[in-house]
Amino acid sequence: MNSVILRNEIQEKINEIKEADILVGIPSYNNARTIGHVVKAVHAGLSKYFPDKKAVIINSDGGSSDGTMDVVQGATIEDYKSILVQHRVEPVFTIATPYQGIPGKGSAFRTIFEIAAALNVKACAVVDSDLRSITPEWVELLIKPVLERDFDYVLPLYHRHKYDGTITNSIIYPLTRALYGRQVRQPIGGDFGFSGKLAKFYLTKDVWESDVAKYGIDIWMTTTAIANNFKVCQSFLGAKIHDAKDPGADLSAMLYQVVGATFDLMEEYPGVWKKVKASEPVATFGFQYAVGLEPVNVNIDRMIEKFRLGVKELIKIWEGFISRDIAAFLRRSEDLQKESFHIPDEVWAEIVCSFAIASHRKIMNREHLLKSLTPLYIGKTASFVIETRESDAQQVDQKIEQLCRVFENIKLFLNVNWR
Amino acid sequence: MDFFQKVIIEPSERLLESILQFLPNFFSALLILFLGILLGKVLKSVFARLFRAVGLDRFFERTGTAELMKKRGLKDPASVVLSKLVGWITVFIFAVAAMKTLEVPAVERILESFILYLPNFFVSLLILFLGYMLSNFFARAALIASVNAGLRMSGLIGKTVKFTVLVLAGTMALEQLGIGRETIVISFTILFGGVVLALSLALGLGGKDIAREFLEKKLRGEDKKDEFEHL
Repeated sequence: MNSVILRNEIQEKINEIKEADILVGIPSYNNARTIGHVVKAVHAGLSKYFPDKKAVIINSDGGSSDGTMDVVQGATIEDYKSILVQHRVEPVFTIATPYQGIPGKGSAFRTIFEIAAALNVKACAVVDSDLRSITPEWVELLIKPVLERDFDYVLPLYHRHKYDGTITNSIIYPLTRALYGRQVRQPIGGDFGFSGKLAKFYLTKDVWESDVAKYGIDIWMTTTAIANNFKVCQSFLGAKIHDAKDPGADLSAMLYQVVGATFDLMEEYPGVWKKVKASEPVATFGFQYAVGLEPVNVNIDRMIEKFRLGVKELIKIWEGFISRDIAAFLRRSEDLQKESFHIPDEVWAEIVCSFAIASHRKIMNREHLLKSLTPLYIGKTASFVIETRESDAQQVDQKIEQLCRVFENIKLFLNVNWR
Repeated sequence: MDFFQKVIIEPSERLLESILQFLPNFFSALLILFLGILLGKVLKSVFARLFRAVGLDRFFERTGTAELMKKRGLKDPASVVLSKLVGWITVFIFAVAAMKTLEVPAVERILESFILYLPNFFVSLLILFLGYMLSNFFARAALIASVNAGLRMSGLIGKTVKFTVLVLAGTMALEQLGIGRETIVISFTILFGGVVLALSLALGLGGKDIAREFLEKKLRGEDKKDEFEHL
């Protein structure tokens, strides 16, 4: 196979392996501390659940300086007897390679898709390299629906802390569900299973120089699979606990890339999402159980302060595309005290839709537009934290379900104004 | 009779002769002006279509210039305004050519010095225009970035960025026009240096406690971070 991005030694390795049944990709960047555990879990999963399948583990690295790739090459399971009843028949190959292209998770995935296509694999999975809660069962849950049930795309379903994944809960999940009509709870979960056919389809798209090559890859993979009628399901993986993220990671840059990628996909598939009237559940695999989660520290005062600052300074920018009622509400909420601080779901859904329409109409520089959403998002998150302070996981799920229904109801506004 | 001949007839004949000599030039000038007006209208229409086709209006909207033009009373889209400008420049060039055709020495001298100065005028207009657009763009970028960083004086930061870019553009435009070249550069340097010095002093004297508190929090890790994951 001729690839523009794979290095010569990888091409040689591919020629040596020739074909494989399963490929598990692990994108990484300075994850030496955790990637050993992830590789071992994947290795154990492949050995335990797919002993007769030819499998390859690919570490696609973004130029780590902490020896991440050495850890991957050295990660082996010393005592197979403790985890396996029977010995593996087929070997597991491990390849660690730096990826090429613009730095980001998307470029790492592109290398994984390329190798998957070159090896003509039947099923693939990708898992994050900073996971602390991954178990061998994750490999089974992400791969088996593809190999045995003919699904093309397997999304994760986790138990997360009620305040975790707030961009997912307040924007990406409700919007994706309302747009494309599938109730996929973690559209940007980061750990996915997919068929070799879908990996080849992804490679036909020319998106590798856009935000998709960065944080946008997850929503792009999910939306592309759904919008192109690939068979989609989700698997319950348990708790998602990972290494502390880089504290310097910029929230507005993250929001810009993820929300921007979602809005870009709306541009690509208007013919698909405009026809969708309601959402439906997707097949779900895995045994669901309650898990204990670590407590999370949230500074509500500071969040409200950031929201107020945003309203004070940026309302004139927003007034160019949000309705008068929403602008009036935001001006009023500037004076609300912490106890009465609340952003209703209807207001939030209209704000997100107004930003989508403003982005579609290109009324201003896109980066400015999307980054100006940050204080409003922080305000909505503060409101959510206040509302769910005493709620258990089930009540929080109900609250998110309620928000999703509001998004589905407001979709007509989006359809009408998307010209 | 001689007197009548010398005082009335001869000057009248000379005047008539001059008028007759001048008339062809005058009609040529009128024709050139008429052609200029006609070409101006054609070019205005052509450029309006061209500007619309290349998405100039969208570009102005995205940079926020369209909104500011509206606020300044310019309600037409940028493509219309600029195509009108192209039309008027065409008419102006033909008007100048028409005036040259008249072959009046005084007019020719004035025109010559005016025409030599004209490129400077247009370049400085362009500098001002670009400066205005860039000032809006950078001011908005600075405002949003500082709001997202939680800085209370975000508004001031945005305005300072806008003011700085505008002053820089103004200085460059005036320098292009050759108005007090050195005075302007020196004034700008003094003004800019003064502002930076004033800000440094204000920050150093007024904000030393805040800076200490901030550094203490950072170094001792007293500032509690939100621990939840956004994605």
